[in-house]
Amino acid sequence: MSEIKKIKNLKEFSTSADRFEGANLLCPGCAHSIIVREVLNATNDDLVLSAATGCLEVCTAVYPYTSWDASWIHIGFENSATAVTGAEAMYKALKRKGRLLQPDRNPKFVAFGGDGATYDIGFQWLSGAFERGHDFMYVALDNEVYANTGGQSSGSTPIGASTTTAPAGRVSYGEKRLKKDLVGIMAAHGAPYVAQVAPNKWKDMTKKIQTGLKTEGPVFINAMSACTTEWKFDPADTIAVSDLATDSLVFPLYEIINGRELNITYRPKNIISVRDYMGAQGRFKHLFKPENEYIIDEWQKRVDAEWERLQRREEARV
Amino acid sequence: MADTMELKDVEVWDGNLASAHSLRQAQVDVVAAYPITPSTPIVENYARFLANGYIDGEYVMVESEHAAMSGCIGASAAGGRVATATSSQGYALMVETLYQASGMRLPIVLHVVNRALGAPLNVNGDHSDMYLGRDSGWIQLDTFSPQEAYDLGLCAFKIGEDHDVRLPVMVHQDGFLSSHTAQGVKTIADDVAYDFVGEFKPMNAMLDFEHPATHGVQTEEDWHFEHKARQQYDLMTKVYPKTKEVFAEFKELTGREYKMVETYDADDADVVITALGTTVETARVAAKQLREEGIKAGVVAIRMIRPFPMEDVREAFKGVKAIATLDRSSPHGTVGMLYNEVAGAMYQMKDNERPLVSNYIYGLGGRDITVKHLKDIFSELIANVEAGSVTTPLQQYVNVRGPKLSFL
Amino acid sequence: MANKGWNEFDEGALLFSFDKNVAMNDIATTHAEDRPYSKSNSFTASVADWRIEKPVFNQDYCIDCQFCWIYCPDISILSRDKKMVGVDYDHCKGCGICVEVCPTNPKSLLMFAEATNDDEAIAKWPEKEKKEK
Repeated sequence: MSEIKKIKNLKEFSTSADRFEGANLLCPGCAHSIIVREVLNATNDDLVLSAATGCLEVCTAVYPYTSWDASWIHIGFENSATAVTGAEAMYKALKRKGRLLQPDRNPKFVAFGGDGATYDIGFQWLSGAFERGHDFMYVALDNEVYANTGGQSSGSTPIGASTTTAPAGRVSYGEKRLKKDLVGIMAAHGAPYVAQVAPNKWKDMTKKIQTGLKTEGPVFINAMSACTTEWKFDPADTIAVSDLATDSLVFPLYEIINGRELNITYRPKNIISVRDYMGAQGRFKHLFKPENEYIIDEWQKRVDAEWERLQRREEARV
Repeated sequence: MADTMELKDVEVWDGNLASAHSLRQAQVDVVAAYPITPSTPIVENYARFLANGYIDGEYVMVESEHAAMSGCIGASAAGGRVATATSSQGYALMVETLYQASGMRLPIVLHVVNRALGAPLNVNGDHSDMYLGRDSGWIQLDTFSPQEAYDLGLCAFKIGEDHDVRLPVMVHQDGFLSSHTAQGVKTIADDVAYDFVGEFKPMNAMLDFEHPATHGVQTEEDWHFEHKARQQYDLMTKVYPKTKEVFAEFKELTGREYKMVETYDADDADVVITALGTTVETARVAAKQLREEGIKAGVVAIRMIRPFPMEDVREAFKGVKAIATLDRSSPHGTVGMLYNEVAGAMYQMKDNERPLVSNYIYGLGGRDITVKHLKDIFSELIANVEAGSVTTPLQQYVNVRGPKLSFL
Repeated sequence: MANKGWNEFDEGALLFSFDKNVAMNDIATTHAEDRPYSKSNSFTASVADWRIEKPVFNQDYCIDCQFCWIYCPDISILSRDKKMVGVDYDHCKGCGICVEVCPTNPKSLLMFAEATNDDEAIAKWPEKEKKEK
């Protein structure tokens, strides 16, 4: 069992040597980057990583450059989970057969995928990998849209967001479908650990990543990724918008252990309104028209109800 | 440590069991697989071996064929021996990953138990799945019997894993006709078979933490062409000599000789049937009977479908006057693949040396083809020779109910 | 790197992060300046030309809180031994997050036009902002 890296405070954390490199093609202000850095810096263990086709892959592994300082594989759009669990199976096999090149290492297997890859096209692959119980972590980089290809709706796109395939227009208020609760779905797989994280709460995130990495079995992490390009806000405001997301409880931060024990891990001192969260993003601009404002009210009710539900579950331990 | 099996010199195995034994003897490190008729018994037999202590690799039963090949790719990039099996719809589902595996230059062995592609849905044997993957960049070998499925199943690892080759390999066999038909298969002892295949030697392995590698990069208009050119170069120049070497080694070990193009009585033949799969054996019976009647009939089978052995194909057809190319896959609007590939190979020959070529579509969805059907085809070839031109329509359908179907 | 022919790279869709002749150990505890990066590592590339504005670091006000280090998407805030050292201008895309998250008053990082001379920027540094009650 490898030792867990000590991260007492941010100063200590800042001594980390990043295994993710700059001069990649991600947009200025991209939250994916911040998330990947926090995840990789949470451990000193050797890593085998995978990524699905999407912003992260397209911007960090285009010949002739790679931005990854650990072994990494991209196969396609759906199969990030299967790529890394295939490697995990090989690790188990070679370990059993005594053929590991560096037998004293304790590698961690981490798959990355956008919400498009995870909620939609790669859902079966994710579900299968979890059902098989591989020892790996899947980090969904959730920017609520197919960002890499210009902002089409995904299964994670929330109601009312304007996307290129569900645009706001004269007779439409944008996306009409509710966002899928993937954290709940992965918890229902009986996964030993699932959690929702956000990069602006680095301590909460790194704690959960460390818990996930030391948990044996499949771990699902849904990481909120505020996308400056598709959510339409200034690149400098990525952390500020992320703060609005976590403090409005649109993205509550919690963990579920063994599918049953839910712990809320962040309780905002001041809960801000959904309206303020939406007001900071261009993708919701049209909802502030008088004929659409009811959608904001419905959102607030839903967020309140969900927060209530999370608190009840936390009490009830079911 | 996995247990070894004591095999008889000759075991009664069907093609699926023979393939499963080749996987067992090669000591595959990771098999990621999904069941589909008629390849299912390969994974079932493998599971049985595992349950009884004969396998110490990992066996991952995934949730779809696409996941099977995806898992194989991840495992192969990690750095070890990988294999799986599929058919038809499953093969079609994993087609995307076939291109990914070969583009990433990862050695993986895939047993394809050839079955028709729907719609309409059909579980029986034909070559539509084989034809679908033609351009996927894999090394593709065809087998005509359980013995061959076993033998080439072992050779496949040796060819694909070579560090100059580094390409995935398909081993095809006819669904049901080979996979579910038993014959006396001459076996190789476990340790001898493993020694022949050899230990897996990792290259660019993800599990080599001292040399982290990024697998599956993207290439745009400035780099894609060079990558595909490189793949073509290696397919066109490295595979043939390596395969020849492996076949020679195999012959020395077992006495059984394999060639890229198999010829049966074709050296002095006037008329030749070209086919794939079990039809080759049926055609040989037909040709033999015709020889007894004084007709110089022969059979040419293309064992190495990819990379296409153009020189060997031309050599095999030298002096032949009329060829029937038999395709067991619906060509959907044109002549069959074998017609195109053979005619293409022969096109550069001088006019007077070029044989007559005609196309027959047969056996779709498991429809039988008999010695009589093949002898009738030979008769049509003889008529072509006598007339000095193709006397029939260019493409004919064999043994399908309804009015005679022919085109071109 | 560009203009290599089809015969001049590793087979597969493959790149190595570090010099192939070096056995990398302890990557996670070796800082960038000590790593034998390969020419294929994006660390060796520059995105300086993406910027129209750049962050300038003013040591005088910095409290080494490391917010800029952790929230920089592009690993362009250099921190060594728990102290802010400077900005990596090869990798900085000028997003401005570091300025936004800097908690000091006045801020220890501020955005200036790309062509600004760093000393001039420091000289122009604003005074401490009085908080309105």
